[in-house]
Amino acid sequence: MKKTWISTLAGAVMLLAGQAALAQKAEPVRFALCYDLSKAYTFVTPQIVQAAKDYADILNAKGGIQGHKIEIIAQDHGNEPQRGIECYEKLKREGVMIFDTLSTPVSRAVLPRVMADGNILLQSFVGRGDAIDGDVFKWIFPIGPTYWGQVANDIQYIKNYHKGSLKGVKVGFVYPDYAFGQEPIPVLKTLAATEGFELQLYPNPLPGKDQAALWTQVRRANPDWIITWNLSAMHVVAAKEMKRNGIPMDKLISVNWFNEVDINNIGAAEAKGMKRGTNVVGGQNHPLIQQILKDLYGKGKGNGDRKNLDDVYYNTGLAMYSVAFEGVRLAIKQGGWPLTPAKIKAGMESLRNFDANGLIAPVTVTAKDHGGGGKTRIDMWDGTKWTPQSDWISAYGDVVEKVIKEQSAEFAKTSK
Amino acid sequence: MLFRQAGIFHTDYAADRAMFPIPLDRWMVGVLLALGLAAPWVFSSLALTSYVMPWLIWAAAALGLNLILGWAGQFHFGYAAIMGIGAYTAVHGVRAGIPWEIAVVLGGLMATVVGIVFAFAALRVKGLYLALSTLALQFVMDWVISHVPAISGGVSATLQAPTLRLLGQQVTSEAGLYYVALGWCLFVTVFMLNLRRTALGRALVAVREKDFAAAVIGVQSFYYKLVAFATSSFIGGVSGAILVFTFYHAVTPEQFSVNVSIELLAMVIVGGLASIIGSYFGAAFILLLPGQINQLVAWTAKLMGADIGVETLAHIPQMVYGALIIGVLLVEPMGLGKLYANVRNYLLVWPFGYARK
Repeated sequence: MKKTWISTLAGAVMLLAGQAALAQKAEPVRFALCYDLSKAYTFVTPQIVQAAKDYADILNAKGGIQGHKIEIIAQDHGNEPQRGIECYEKLKREGVMIFDTLSTPVSRAVLPRVMADGNILLQSFVGRGDAIDGDVFKWIFPIGPTYWGQVANDIQYIKNYHKGSLKGVKVGFVYPDYAFGQEPIPVLKTLAATEGFELQLYPNPLPGKDQAALWTQVRRANPDWIITWNLSAMHVVAAKEMKRNGIPMDKLISVNWFNEVDINNIGAAEAKGMKRGTNVVGGQNHPLIQQILKDLYGKGKGNGDRKNLDDVYYNTGLAMYSVAFEGVRLAIKQGGWPLTPAKIKAGMESLRNFDANGLIAPVTVTAKDHGGGGKTRIDMWDGTKWTPQSDWISAYGDVVEKVIKEQSAEFAKTSK
Repeated sequence: MLFRQAGIFHTDYAADRAMFPIPLDRWMVGVLLALGLAAPWVFSSLALTSYVMPWLIWAAAALGLNLILGWAGQFHFGYAAIMGIGAYTAVHGVRAGIPWEIAVVLGGLMATVVGIVFAFAALRVKGLYLALSTLALQFVMDWVISHVPAISGGVSATLQAPTLRLLGQQVTSEAGLYYVALGWCLFVTVFMLNLRRTALGRALVAVREKDFAAAVIGVQSFYYKLVAFATSSFIGGVSGAILVFTFYHAVTPEQFSVNVSIELLAMVIVGGLASIIGSYFGAAFILLLPGQINQLVAWTAKLMGADIGVETLAHIPQMVYGALIIGVLLVEPMGLGKLYANVRNYLLVWPFGYARK
């Protein structure tokens, strides 16, 4: 009797040990996408989740990252900070180390916890821009340009257009009147003072669906260039008002959040000539997208509607997760398995001139700079597709750096 | 049988005015209190930090709103703004070196002052007009916070909350933060329980039922409305401060934006006007249910092997949640608190239901 008991126990132990070994062998790298899939950010999140899952499938078919499968966990937080925190706290306890919230409110709410726990928070294109200061924000990776960098690059493009001098040039800035829209203003003001262009500010009250008064003002002041920080439906309103006021489309430079859906809503022909600050190459000519089309959607194994691929936000998602997967690949290569947040951090910080095969401007992430260089370029809608108008540029580094340092110093001071 | 009333004799004033004359009520309160105190050992750390603690703080805030909405019968669509004022004041106070306890009270007082100043203007109108003017308070606050960098904390509009120091002691552990939240929630609950049987509470009810009828019997309705606004603003302000120090750890404008005001209103209405236990139910319903339904739907979909896209998966819980709110209000328009009261009333005489007829 006793013998059977012991052998059963031994059997159980062996079974458990075997399972543990098996589990270790197949243990996946998990990415938590705590996204707003139901409220304010739905114009971009589904495409990004789809891109992340598609790319993960492509890599998994080849054996994953260094032999470890990629698992994408997408969960909705409805853009509510407390639900974002819940998502983070829950998945953190399940052993996930890499988080992405893609929502400024949630990113801000999760950030203090991530910093305290020492996990990895990816926040490309959202959240506080000063987080690219790796000395202060050790665990935050906003890889890609900040909005400050992007607006500085826009000004550089305008300067190049005017043959190197901005004296007497009038630049209007149209923005929704809350933190996201107000963010570029300090940089614009500094540049206006140093470069000598005239800056005109046009705030539009939330939710930004009524811009009639604003564009009449723009017509009256007649700026040479108009930089807009509009989002999704606000673009359509702006385009309509511009047409009504007879303001030509080619004066417009939009923030990077301008996609094919907005173009279709405006009308592809109507939108001709408008420009966009770009952080990722649009269109489907990229070899990775071609591969995804062939291997996944061609076989009916895509992670969503094929239509979504014809959208620059899909490319944005691919770019974000190309960078993330590459960072993790470097982490496993350098530090081996099991992964720890410190190893992932080191992996991310050893990205050198990584351009995801031409999908983005090359990024070089270091322990000091978590942004990767902040390059953007200007693309123009020619009626059917986006055509680049400049090289990847990163201008006014000192001005942008100064804003970043001011902000991050403030954070460093108070988070003690 | 369960709620035994046999043997309860009102022989002196103290016994007559006891808060919980029925033994079972006392037992239940005792058990809940014990559970509240033992929560750090009973619940997992996830449940404690992400469900129980925020629930208690929101319940305290909902109680504050219930004071003005349920007891005094005055609409308030800007309660999140009031909480925000408290939170911003307290965080700025602590950052300026004021001890935490005083800063939190200052937050409450600042909310009170703004609440009263606003009430002076707003209380000249009634009903829906009052609702709209309190909504204006919300928008004014949103605008001020996002346009005064000194308040919002600069271009990125986040202000880190310093570590909570209670009586000079750093509180950083999960249990410690939880007890701070529990303490505040208990304080508000006890206050509200007692409010019902004070002259103030009765005056508020008189004002709610008909303000000029109240004036006829000698209750100055404007004065009591002001008192109600002030008290509930204080509770809201302190709740906002506690929420930031124990849960968010950073204060940003969207934590106290207009949709939060609507959520608070929903907590009070779904929970039940002028119901204390209802405020707890309402806070749980509005705050915790969406996440739980989300998980349930995701789990069900996985179990059935249904291949649902992430977007649909995120929207199904919204529909379920909306249907649940409508369902609750159809079944019992007085809210979840009344549902509980119905059950209790039934059990009061059970199994001798005919005794009530």
